[in-house]
Amino acid sequence: MNVSWHADDDLLTRYVSGTVGPLDGASLEQHLTGCADCRVRIATHVDVAPLELVWSRVREQAQAPAPTLVERLLTGLGVSASDARLVAVTPSLRTSWLFGLAATLGFVGLGAAYGGTRGLTFFLLVAPLVPVAGVAFAYGPDVDPLYEVGVAVPYSGARLLLLRTAAVLVTSLPLVLASALLLPGLSWTAVTWLLPALSFTALVLAASTWTRPTFAAVGLGIAWACAVGAAALDRDPYAVLAPTALLVYAVTGIAAVLILRLRIRRLTPLGSLS
Amino acid sequence: MTAATTVGLTGITKKYHGTTALDAIDLSFEPGITGLLGPNGAGKTTLLRIIATVLSPDAGKVRLLGRTPATPDELAQVRRRLGYQPQEMGFPRAFTGFGFVDYMAVLKEWTARAARHDEVRRVLDLVDLGDVATKRVRNLSGGQRRRIALAQAMLGDPDLMLLDEPTTGVDPEQRVSLRQVLSRAGERSTVLLSTHQTEDVAALCDRVVVLDQGRVRFDGAVRDLVATAAGRVWMADAPDPAARASWRTGTGSHRNVGETAPPGAELAEPTLEDAYLLLLGDRALTTEVAA
Repeated sequence: MNVSWHADDDLLTRYVSGTVGPLDGASLEQHLTGCADCRVRIATHVDVAPLELVWSRVREQAQAPAPTLVERLLTGLGVSASDARLVAVTPSLRTSWLFGLAATLGFVGLGAAYGGTRGLTFFLLVAPLVPVAGVAFAYGPDVDPLYEVGVAVPYSGARLLLLRTAAVLVTSLPLVLASALLLPGLSWTAVTWLLPALSFTALVLAASTWTRPTFAAVGLGIAWACAVGAAALDRDPYAVLAPTALLVYAVTGIAAVLILRLRIRRLTPLGSLS
Repeated sequence: MTAATTVGLTGITKKYHGTTALDAIDLSFEPGITGLLGPNGAGKTTLLRIIATVLSPDAGKVRLLGRTPATPDELAQVRRRLGYQPQEMGFPRAFTGFGFVDYMAVLKEWTARAARHDEVRRVLDLVDLGDVATKRVRNLSGGQRRRIALAQAMLGDPDLMLLDEPTTGVDPEQRVSLRQVLSRAGERSTVLLSTHQTEDVAALCDRVVVLDQGRVRFDGAVRDLVATAAGRVWMADAPDPAARASWRTGTGSHRNVGETAPPGAELAEPTLEDAYLLLLGDRALTTEVAA
């Protein structure tokens, strides 16, 4: 385009500050579309700080990930936003895991309601292991793709493990309790399974100061299956929840908590990965 | 050891199921970039893991940033000033590049959201990934994923950066821009860089450590390692059966790396790769030339 005139500094200043009249303004805009020189000059009149602020806010809006459902739930419960971030990626808190869990417990509950002794045995087998599996799949080199890089950071591994355990218990225990309501003739069984469940969870946590939580959970699962199986063969599946058995769970659970208290700071020291 | 020593290793030994990964290693590092070279299984990754505090040695003493980390508190102090890029890193499914680096920043105690997000943007811009920060990591290329992994290691400008093959799978153009980023980091921090690429070491590092079978085979200036190959690299019209390695170059003549001059050969200027081949012999060939 042939340019016959150039904008003077006064016009540019008035345009940038917004005090230019409509006619001069329109004329300048028309001119700027065709004149590279004046575009360069007007740029020097513009204060970039507010523009950069706007741009950084736009980037923030576009790039920062929106908090997930779990994160919003946790912050609603008073957990800090950054802690919620760390908990929300837990494999055993994913929606797919929770749906799978709900479906399994639905089947188990129905089996217990209508399946007689066998259905009940199945419920006793599964219920206490649900939180144990959730905890085992919440932390550690087998399930967390970021475990190795997550050890080399100042954030406490113990804190992360306990946060995730709490979140797993809060989500999984109500689901098991709901399925326990399907048990025939609402008995104490609907709640007494909580004791082995909590005791086993504490055992897995204590064991994770020595070994991988998944190993500990598999070992416990096999032992529990043997105990429930043996009781079922005696035609008395409730034996695993007999008062003496409950006492054993309570004692081992308390012992596990004490060991955990003593050893938890060793959770991710040098050598937790080999 | 001097006051500037950031990493001091004495007698570091690590065994896995009977095989020795590291055999009584003594090394110390100061600010600047050091390249770790060696064939697969030489112990490079084990060494970096030990310095990164994710693995404990079976024997030996590790001194990091002026501390001997034994208690959890001392470990946390060291980890605050350390950036680590592991050789392999999985990414949780739904993570975007930004989300991933943000997650790592939370673990590195950036609790204030606005400051944390600014820092995440800074490191993503450093590795040229600002534009794809909203894409899911699963949908990025291998080279882009390596750069994301590098970005998290640069959070907070750590005094000690441990990078396990940061340039693997990164395309040549990006590799050059990564070199600029790393060389700037090396002006202030201690950067240890394990790699298979002798060109990266030649381009970036003042110092090179060659590991082989868990032992240090060379430790010194890059130009000193190159100098060991002087007078042992020849250009000839035919391959030399006596040479350590011999290949036909783009110009049609053959580059022979060996002890004796083949008939009618001319001496050639040695490269770091030649020196590395001569130092390690056949074991270098199995990975370096094949790779």
